[in-house]
Amino acid sequence: MNASRFTKNPIAMTGLAIVLFYVAIILVSLVWLPFDPVAMDMDLLLDPPSFKTGHLFGTDEFGRDILSRIMSGCAVSLIISLGATALGAVAGTLLGIWAGFLGGRWDHWLMRVADVLFSFPSLLLAIFVMAILGERTYNVVIAIGIVYIPQFARISRGAILSLKNQEFVRAAFSNGAGKSYVLFRHLLPNILVPLIVQVSLSLSVAILLESALSFLGLGIQPPAPSWGNMLSAARKLMMIAPWTAVYPGLAIVFLVLGFNLLGDGLRDVLDPRLRNAR
Amino acid sequence: MQDNEEILRVEGLCTQFRTEQGLVKAVDGISFELRRGQTLGIVGESGSGKSVANLSMLRLIQTPPGRVTAGKVLFDGKDLLTLSEEEVRAYRGRNIAMIFQDPLTSLNPVLPIWLQIAEAIELHHKLKRPAAKVKAVEMLKAIGIPDPERRAYDYPHQFSGGMRQRVMIAMALSCDPDILIADEPTTALDVTIQAQILDLIRGLSRERRTAVIMITHDLGVVAGMCDEVCVLYAGRIVERAPVDELFYEPRHPYTRGLLDSIPRLDRSSAERLYSIPGSPPDLVDLPDCCPFHPRCSHAMEICRHTYPPETAEAGRGNRTVSCWLHVKERA
Repeated sequence: MNASRFTKNPIAMTGLAIVLFYVAIILVSLVWLPFDPVAMDMDLLLDPPSFKTGHLFGTDEFGRDILSRIMSGCAVSLIISLGATALGAVAGTLLGIWAGFLGGRWDHWLMRVADVLFSFPSLLLAIFVMAILGERTYNVVIAIGIVYIPQFARISRGAILSLKNQEFVRAAFSNGAGKSYVLFRHLLPNILVPLIVQVSLSLSVAILLESALSFLGLGIQPPAPSWGNMLSAARKLMMIAPWTAVYPGLAIVFLVLGFNLLGDGLRDVLDPRLRNAR
Repeated sequence: MQDNEEILRVEGLCTQFRTEQGLVKAVDGISFELRRGQTLGIVGESGSGKSVANLSMLRLIQTPPGRVTAGKVLFDGKDLLTLSEEEVRAYRGRNIAMIFQDPLTSLNPVLPIWLQIAEAIELHHKLKRPAAKVKAVEMLKAIGIPDPERRAYDYPHQFSGGMRQRVMIAMALSCDPDILIADEPTTALDVTIQAQILDLIRGLSRERRTAVIMITHDLGVVAGMCDEVCVLYAGRIVERAPVDELFYEPRHPYTRGLLDSIPRLDRSSAERLYSIPGSPPDLVDLPDCCPFHPRCSHAMEICRHTYPPETAEAGRGNRTVSCWLHVKERA
């Protein structure tokens, strides 16, 4: 039922195609890359894109092939983006919906903790967590995930609050349903729309947060490539060698676009109220 | 199973709400009993405690602010008010089911209809999804939805108001409950649909020997549906009578007022419609008087400081009234 509705949705399918394209790139990068992504070539520093040298996207300030670096950085960026969002979405949503549903003291304290986390700018919070955990790839995932938890908790709590006094909740209880049944069967599907919007936003912000962390020396450590640290290295070279910034940037833009289309499409598929409107 | 077997007995049910203004006694000592196959009407104005009484029976009152403070709800030899949450849950939906007032908000907008109808079956009989789906389609057929196999997959917004209320009825009756509580099932519907819904409830409940508690403020519904009526005022039953006796011979001044305020076609429209003077009392810290006395044209001195005892009246069924006018020997 839902699967066929998904495949018939052009927006969702475009998004899925883009994301799958990136997954394919990751698979290819595991077995073959045009150049070694960390090999420096002192003769070809900041070489513009050309077929003659074989550096299709040009080289960076150390003469490393940008295409190869984008390809091998793809896995890292995708893992960080998906991992951090999954962590934040699952943990934050669970906390948020229980807090909103149960209310009372639970809700009060949980939201105060969320307020405290919220009061830090996300980058500062991520730096703070990284400083505690140490510089590791999976710690980047955890740090960004923790930044996301209060955001998801807030959104899901608010959505649950506006729903939990609806008559259908009472009807479910009068049918003999328990709390967790009502919460997961009845309420969770009702708040999927705001959650999916937040997920597609978070997926893209994670890539940018990772790049900020890398820029500060806390993210993926050079020479290992990530789109984030490539972009931050390119910042000072933008005027003389624009390709160093444009290609990693495009890689990010397309992935974000893919996630957003996928999220949009999923939302249309999952929310029966929107289905007939389109 | 005997026909006149008593299946539910409510004794002295009290529900209070703690509010900022004070303690509200929303339900203040209600007692009644229900026999298999019987339809009991509970009538009263908004705020008279009709819905609260029925939610209290199934322990669906949100605590805090509400609390059932006294009373017994005896079903199947057990007092529902003393059971654990888990034990009560087993009764909800399976033995006692409810229909709510507004079919628009009582269905979950993002779940297909069949899933919602199958819910009680799934919860109580642990049926697998396909079997539950078959049962849901059967119920849809029983409530007269055309093309049930296809419509089962539709969502609530694809149904009209009347059809949604039918779906609510299907949900409530899916487990063949002993008692159906219908909380103003027709208030949100227009008149032609009202009749259909009432017919459906009557037909299905008769067919399945389901006892019905019909909560309403519409005396027309009561006249057409119920065997017995309880008139509720300020959280107490002021009069209880078989339905025809209540209409022909109302004893309590409030009941009389209610009957007089029904618009009638055989009266000239120039005549002003009767209405009971005043408004329902504030239930916060209500003193121990007859709550109706400020609006009553027969009010006596004693009404102002003591609540009248329940007096049994002669009649075919069990008939009681709580009014000093009918207390033979005044203390």
